[in-house]
Amino acid sequence: MSAATAGLSPLYWRRLAATGKTVPRLVAQLLTPVLWILIVGPALARALGSFSPSIDYYTYVAVGQVAFLVPFTAMFAGIDLLTDKDFGILRELLVAPIRRATIPLANAAAVATVALLQVALVALLAVARGAHFHTSLARLPWFVATAALLSLGMFGIAQVLALAIKQQAAYGALIPAIGVTPFFLSGAMYPLAVLPLGLKAIALVLPWTHAVALLHYGMMQGTDPGLAAIWHLSSEPLMATLSLAALAVFAVASLAIAVRVFSKSTSDNVP
Amino acid sequence: MSDPVQVRDLHKTYSNGVQAVRGISFTVGEGEVFGLLGPNGAGKSTTIGMLTTMLRPSAGQILVAGHDLAREPRAARQATGVVFQDSVLDNDFSGRQNLDLHARLWRLPRAEADRRIAALLAVIGLADRASDGVRTYSGGMRRRLEIARALLAKPAILLLDEPTTGLDPAVRQELWDLIRRLRATEGVTVLLSTHYLEEAERVCDRVAIMHQGHLVAVDTPRRLVDTVGHDLLELEATASTGEALQILQASGATAGRPLLTAQTISVPIRPDADQRSRLLRRLVDDGLAASVTIRRGSLNDVFLHLTSASGRPDGVAGAGAADATRPATEARRPA
Repeated sequence: MSAATAGLSPLYWRRLAATGKTVPRLVAQLLTPVLWILIVGPALARALGSFSPSIDYYTYVAVGQVAFLVPFTAMFAGIDLLTDKDFGILRELLVAPIRRATIPLANAAAVATVALLQVALVALLAVARGAHFHTSLARLPWFVATAALLSLGMFGIAQVLALAIKQQAAYGALIPAIGVTPFFLSGAMYPLAVLPLGLKAIALVLPWTHAVALLHYGMMQGTDPGLAAIWHLSSEPLMATLSLAALAVFAVASLAIAVRVFSKSTSDNVP
Repeated sequence: MSDPVQVRDLHKTYSNGVQAVRGISFTVGEGEVFGLLGPNGAGKSTTIGMLTTMLRPSAGQILVAGHDLAREPRAARQATGVVFQDSVLDNDFSGRQNLDLHARLWRLPRAEADRRIAALLAVIGLADRASDGVRTYSGGMRRRLEIARALLAKPAILLLDEPTTGLDPAVRQELWDLIRRLRATEGVTVLLSTHYLEEAERVCDRVAIMHQGHLVAVDTPRRLVDTVGHDLLELEATASTGEALQILQASGATAGRPLLTAQTISVPIRPDADQRSRLLRRLVDDGLAASVTIRRGSLNDVFLHLTSASGRPDGVAGAGAADATRPATEARRPA
């Protein structure tokens, strides 16, 4: 293992193992999406039908739940950071012979792994409940990459907020506001077209919106209007590439800021 | 071979303008146990923070195992084991898992890590509790585990930041015995900070006393104790200390300037038995002393003399007080 990546593997596995011990939290994170998948989604689809004849509304909201679950899970990483900092092992990690940046990056990778496992579980439940995913070997990676990038980007936001707020209780209160509120503007529940103009303008710059469009692109081949509502172009692959690029910029920038803030706040800038 | 720890003209000024460390220099020799002592706010925690690379010095240089902390922090950290003042364990895991994580972060080969973990768990008496979660450990067990963890990767330097703070006396004694034993078997250089002066006196080869960001003394505990005199007379004055001070200073029995703390006067005293008894009789007969004792000087006396209020116009603060304002910036080990 090179000096640059030293510590990445043990810290990644440590975070995964620690997360595995928080069963109540993992269940709590899954509760709302599972309720939507098993109860609310089918009920809405039955009661209201769909906004477009070509779209199965239940499948539409089932895919959209990923945009709820992934940011929500990632936001809990802020609690983990504050726990490690205040009561746990962070100082031991800071005096280890590794780059300090390795600590948040390893945690980010572990959080993304957990998020993808949760997404897989939700997707399986959705299929069992009657969702009709139209995907392929070419489209599925778009779905996975989108979930991973959204998780990494939200992890960065969670780290920065946690280090700024410092108090676990105050940070915990922010999780729904930051992790969930943008979901309602993202097109996960209804198409962007129905949003008032001002809100739509806001929605278009949110990473959630690009993520939802890409998730639909990956799992609802040929039926989703999300990308066109954002880009108004004729080439679907081009629009998907542009949205994925936007999401990647969000993830990289968010992680870079998080690493910088982490290094500054926890180690007085010693590399 | 060069000294494992070399600190040169080290400064630390925090962003709020507080100058916590003001130009200290010292070295720690191979295999030495070196104690950093000082009252709260003296700058010792900041110094330890810089030695562990948790804090960046404002100026100066630190070499740890030959590595400049500013240029090669990871190489320096590879050569260092740290025990923090507060417990720093991964509470979600067992004792063995805590050690295993350390071994992986310090890149110990698997077989060697297993061998070292088993050996150290046996030494610290936790072999049968190694699989239990550290949440179930007592304070002493946690501390023993942290010391074992710090030594796991065979560091050249062991940094202990107030390692016995908050522990009961029996556990403190047990830990010092453990540190002494491990130092002998591991051959590690130890740099520690502590509030417990009697422990420092017993454990340390040399101590440095910090005061207001300066080093005011660096030497062996014995030599430092000699600076305040072998024996000390301690007098609790009945009323005003002024008259008692005058008698002490005029008696010819004292061997240094007295230290005054509240109603208590502490002063080095000459070994002449006749002089002593004359002085004691005078103090008692004049009704100036509520109590008088003569006892051996200790590091505690050195500490008080060097860190108590200096600059009194009557020069009463003590034999070391005048020196307390003059940093001992070049401290050498005894030959």
